[in-house]
Amino acid sequence: MTRRVALIALFVSIAAIALGYGAAFTRSGTPQWAPWMLALGIPVAIGAIMILGAVRANRGIGALKYPFALVIMILVIGFGAALALPSTDGPLSRLWLGLPARAAIVIYGVGLLPIIILPVAYAMTFEEMTLSAEDLERVRAIARENELAE
Amino acid sequence: MIAVGLLYFAVIIGISVWAARRTRTANDFFVAGKGIGLVALTVASVSVSVSGFAFIGGPGLIYAVGLGAMYIVLPAAVTNVMGAWVLAKRMRLLAEARRLITIPDAIGARYKSRAAQGLSAVAILVGIVGYMATNALAMGVVINAIFGVGLGWGIWIGMGVTLAYSASGGILAGIYNDVFQGTLMAVASVLVFLFVLGFGGGLGGISHTILLHDPTFLGPWGRLTPLAALSFFFVFSMGSLGQPQAVHKYYMLRDPLQLKWYPLLKTLGLILVLLLYFSVGVGVKAFVLDGRLAPLASPDQATPTLLLNVTPIFLAALVFSGVAAATMSAANSFMNIGAAIFTHDLPVALGRKVGNELKWGRIATVLIAVAAAVTAQRSGTMVAFLGIFGWGLFASTLVPALAVGLNWQGATRAGAIASIATGLIITLALETAAYWKVFTFPAGVTASAVAMVSSFLVFFVVSWLTRESAAKAIDPDIQLVMEI
Repeated sequence: MTRRVALIALFVSIAAIALGYGAAFTRSGTPQWAPWMLALGIPVAIGAIMILGAVRANRGIGALKYPFALVIMILVIGFGAALALPSTDGPLSRLWLGLPARAAIVIYGVGLLPIIILPVAYAMTFEEMTLSAEDLERVRAIARENELAE
Repeated sequence: MIAVGLLYFAVIIGISVWAARRTRTANDFFVAGKGIGLVALTVASVSVSVSGFAFIGGPGLIYAVGLGAMYIVLPAAVTNVMGAWVLAKRMRLLAEARRLITIPDAIGARYKSRAAQGLSAVAILVGIVGYMATNALAMGVVINAIFGVGLGWGIWIGMGVTLAYSASGGILAGIYNDVFQGTLMAVASVLVFLFVLGFGGGLGGISHTILLHDPTFLGPWGRLTPLAALSFFFVFSMGSLGQPQAVHKYYMLRDPLQLKWYPLLKTLGLILVLLLYFSVGVGVKAFVLDGRLAPLASPDQATPTLLLNVTPIFLAALVFSGVAAATMSAANSFMNIGAAIFTHDLPVALGRKVGNELKWGRIATVLIAVAAAVTAQRSGTMVAFLGIFGWGLFASTLVPALAVGLNWQGATRAGAIASIATGLIITLALETAAYWKVFTFPAGVTASAVAMVSSFLVFFVVSWLTRESAAKAIDPDIQLVMEI
């Protein structure tokens, strides 16, 4: 079920991105909604393909659903804020960690926050969700069988 | 500067001699025999993921278009862990199950198809031509800057040194040279970052200067359209799953259980190396705006201008060595992958076997290096064009068939072949049309993006249409690897 949902989400998000690109070819120029297709489609595509990679056989993704949901949300909010917030940057703008607000949201939010979440989630769930010594032994056993058969 | 350059080449030669003595079989040559430890593999992988673009072209692009150029490197926050979940475990387990050594091997085994293996090998080979020639040219520029030997000799000296260690020590020499080169890049990048912040009065001081003169530069898209910036993010995030120089490394980790820490370490390493990309781009812009540097003749002069006019000479020499390191490690990795295609993948696809893969691997490495150097010397602006489509070609031909295909048993052989062919044909056709100005894309749309989206959709649709053949076309050992 999880795998199927991830596959459908991946297909729909890629189709949305295609629609965004397709809209740019219209004679009146790129419509305002076209970048929104990418702003929504890219986070969903990234989340979907990570879920597809994380899901094992017919099991779900367990606790990984939280970091995945959080990162998809961070990317959507980051891209969405950059698209939606008005442009008021100037010499008197307040700086956030050295950058104007919209740039800070993109650089620190989209570019740095996922680093704190995803690789740590990967390491913390590695034996349970990704690869255990037993899994490895199963593959090595079938490899030995293959070698004997040859 | 010359002394640091000579010292750099001396270390490379020392590592290569050591590695050559340990390379005895084709397995040693192509996938480092019994494998590489976690830290060495991580640093090497960072090294090959960053080409000369991150040190020269990237900062120049930020200088020209502002923060919009950051969308090329922002995906680094997710790409390594995405690669770990989607590909690393399955590729590494395929090496355990089948002793596979190349990416087309994995595609061939997954779909039980020599056609898919051969077609993916051809696609990789075409992309390698672009990458190799671009890196050869970048090497020539850097060596000429250090030693003043002229661009032509710079290309041949750079390729000669890279060739010497690639052909003698294979991937083992490449990996340990990458470790040295990756460390050098990280040190150079952090030092330049700290220097620029100090010189500019902190990031706040740099931002204040830019906002005073050119606020659009620090807008979330810079001078790009939102569609163009997001398009960069799409191509460089999803496309990372098809980059052979990074994906190939998954085969080489000595203990598969060490994958646990691989994405965290690699992401941190990449962030360190990319500090220069950001800091030089925005720093030089601020220094030009406040009159401390003269306006640049071209955006690509951002890094050289900063190094030659502002930073201490030792730091300049370190960064130039870092650029040489970035181009050499990328070139070495592609030489190795290209040699494996000639001696392993194409013969397998044609139903033949090469007798002595180690010997022919070394010969193929020499031929690829010479071809790249000649292409770099003769092609002029064509080289830049080839380099641009290299990344897009890998992405559009390999991501659906490899990254989705290894995680979805419903993917079919027909879907994989159609997807690889679509990516190859669309990328070549659109990039060629754009290069010859037969066709102009709307702002924000690129050939790479169109090809990758098309390749994905074709992969899904054809796999769905031929779905009855899906499950029975997977061998039991491959099925186990896909289910774990």
